[in-house]
Amino acid sequence: MSILIAAFGFGLVSASVIALAAVGFTMQFGITNMINLAYGEVMIASAYVAYYVDQRGVSIWIAMLIGAAFGAVFSFLINRLIYAPFQRKGTALLGMVIVSLAVSLMIANIMLPIVGYFAVSYNERFSTLLRFGALALTVNQIAIFALAGAIMVAIHALLRYTRLGKAMRATAANPALARNCGIPTQRVIDAVWLITGALCGLAGVVAALDSDSFTISSGAGFLITALAAAVLGGAGQPYGAMIGAVVIGLITEMSAAVWSPDYKQVVAFAILVVVMVLRPQGLLARRGAAAAAG
Amino acid sequence: MDTFRRHLHSARIALPAVAAILLAACGSSSSAGSGLGTGDLLVGVLAPFSGPDANLGPAYYAACLAAQPEINNHGAVGGRKISCQKFDTRGEPADATPAASQMVASNSNLMAVVGCTSDEASAVAPIVDRAHIPMFCMTGQSEFNKTKLQYFHRLVPADIFDAYAMVGWVQYGPNHPTWNKVALVFGDDIGSQSFVQPATNALQHFGKTVKNFPIHLGASSFRTEVTSMLAFQPDVIFTEALGSAGTYLGEVKELNGGKTIPFVGTSATIDPAWFKDVTSTISVDDVVNNYRGVDLGYTFSGTAYDEFNANLQAAAATFADAPKYKQRGSTLHLYDGIIMTALAMLATNSADPKVYNSKIKEIANGVSGATDVHTYKEGMDAINAGKSIRYVGAGGQNNFDEYNNSQSGYILVKYDAQGGEVQVAMLTTAQTKALSDAGGI
Repeated sequence: MSILIAAFGFGLVSASVIALAAVGFTMQFGITNMINLAYGEVMIASAYVAYYVDQRGVSIWIAMLIGAAFGAVFSFLINRLIYAPFQRKGTALLGMVIVSLAVSLMIANIMLPIVGYFAVSYNERFSTLLRFGALALTVNQIAIFALAGAIMVAIHALLRYTRLGKAMRATAANPALARNCGIPTQRVIDAVWLITGALCGLAGVVAALDSDSFTISSGAGFLITALAAAVLGGAGQPYGAMIGAVVIGLITEMSAAVWSPDYKQVVAFAILVVVMVLRPQGLLARRGAAAAAG
Repeated sequence: MDTFRRHLHSARIALPAVAAILLAACGSSSSAGSGLGTGDLLVGVLAPFSGPDANLGPAYYAACLAAQPEINNHGAVGGRKISCQKFDTRGEPADATPAASQMVASNSNLMAVVGCTSDEASAVAPIVDRAHIPMFCMTGQSEFNKTKLQYFHRLVPADIFDAYAMVGWVQYGPNHPTWNKVALVFGDDIGSQSFVQPATNALQHFGKTVKNFPIHLGASSFRTEVTSMLAFQPDVIFTEALGSAGTYLGEVKELNGGKTIPFVGTSATIDPAWFKDVTSTISVDDVVNNYRGVDLGYTFSGTAYDEFNANLQAAAATFADAPKYKQRGSTLHLYDGIIMTALAMLATNSADPKVYNSKIKEIANGVSGATDVHTYKEGMDAINAGKSIRYVGAGGQNNFDEYNNSQSGYILVKYDAQGGEVQVAMLTTAQTKALSDAGGI
């Protein structure tokens, strides 16, 4: 029983990390109609930026903000310089997926000679371990959990209560109509790339901090779990991505405790397949809706 | 008019002569058949340079870069200089297969292939074998214990022997308390799990309690797995966990009240990338005090090693990290493999792999009355003097069996604070036999 409780705690931390990544990923898709497979590489690039800042004696929590800022600018530039020109030419969604895959490979291969293949970790990788019965969490993990919770509330507030959020939802639902109603959709899309890029960067630093050490190849693993949570929750649905993250985070850890670590990925992705068979649009999305974020 | 006829007559004589010269020149550039031919030779480094095992390829590339000046500065292979080229398998059979196919199809001057780790050896070894190119693979997979691939060579033992040597640390290793409970922490892939059964058999034979705690390599966290493992209260952990050891051992320390449990690593953990990975999460002191490892019995000294090391230091001009591999077994062995291949070409006076492949084994094992040589130049001079040679290289003596697997004895090692290997003891022949018998595989 105690291992189950411990696994539940670890699952919540994993869910927090996944949620940060998945919400940004799914918002990018929901509002800009772009399945960005370079997302994982931007995460890991941001994690390295934070690492170099951290190595200069700056606190990881400050470095995390710098990583998020880097993720925002980097994502914005990738869209403006690469994705947007293709989209303007009318490249189909599948074509854009291939373009993003190419961008992913380019980032990984450009980074390799710069950061090397050795594993690195942040100075603050260890923090005090707190025990609440069988639950054992470090201060860092509790901070990650709280940070993810705060970000999710902020995303909710952004989408529900701000003009920008409403403009985002309008752009996601029907870009042409939104434009005709006077919404500056290009600026909205730029804002989406900056916000989701910041989430991507933040998620990268948090994931790297949570996993103690990371390498250039960690990006692919980050992308897969974010993608799975986003698809499980319903493509383009931020709230769906949050639920998807909780489901995947908890199931992977709990199944490792109940059965075997061999099956934790199997169980998580089997559930994803089952949900896709029974409810292809995901847990929250309406059928066919790649829009209406929020 | 007469002048024109004279010119025409001259051309009738000259053209066939020019054609004959051109044909002869073309013929001599061919690498097939007898003679060493002309033009540069290529050593393909077929290994992961990206992906989760991206740390492996550079160690092999360093071996090739060290062999390059050793051969080229001493007359090359009959004047043919060698060069090294990376072919990235990404550690995935799906990527390795086209990489290997492209390598053999595009390079008619390929003299040898080095690398092919457990990640991709099953996929690429048959391709290289079909192309009749000698290969030196860094795989411990048991499927190659009795391989039928004639061009396959392995200078490292199968994984099961690593597992036995790790048990040797428990049974015969000095300066540690009695270890009765052993946790096995290896990746859940087939290659990594090949350590588990032989280690379990041998440990149980010696009355130890063993439990397997597989992990999914590359996962971002292992806290549930670590909690489960800690509940077993092991005295020692057997591990390899390439690419994930830092995260795993960091979480062990984190969840174990800041204390590191002693751990014994495979020979693959004697590696700068592994040391860097682990020391990035637990401290260098933790590694120095708690790590034990096994390795093949290298001396890291002598003529062959000194020559290798000098070449490796020089290779830093091309690859800055090259000197870091001066005590990496695979780097030593692959360097030796390339030197032996070049010597085999000299000895057979042939650039045709079908001719020189079998000579590699003869040069490695030696024949009766063979002269021991330790460098390429010594080998070349001896061959030119008409002698049979045995190459005893930077990695020590080789002893290929009928399946081109070479075995040598194990040493028990630790790390020093700089990541250098420190030999603690050597397993005797009797101890090795006892371990092997206990494993029963």
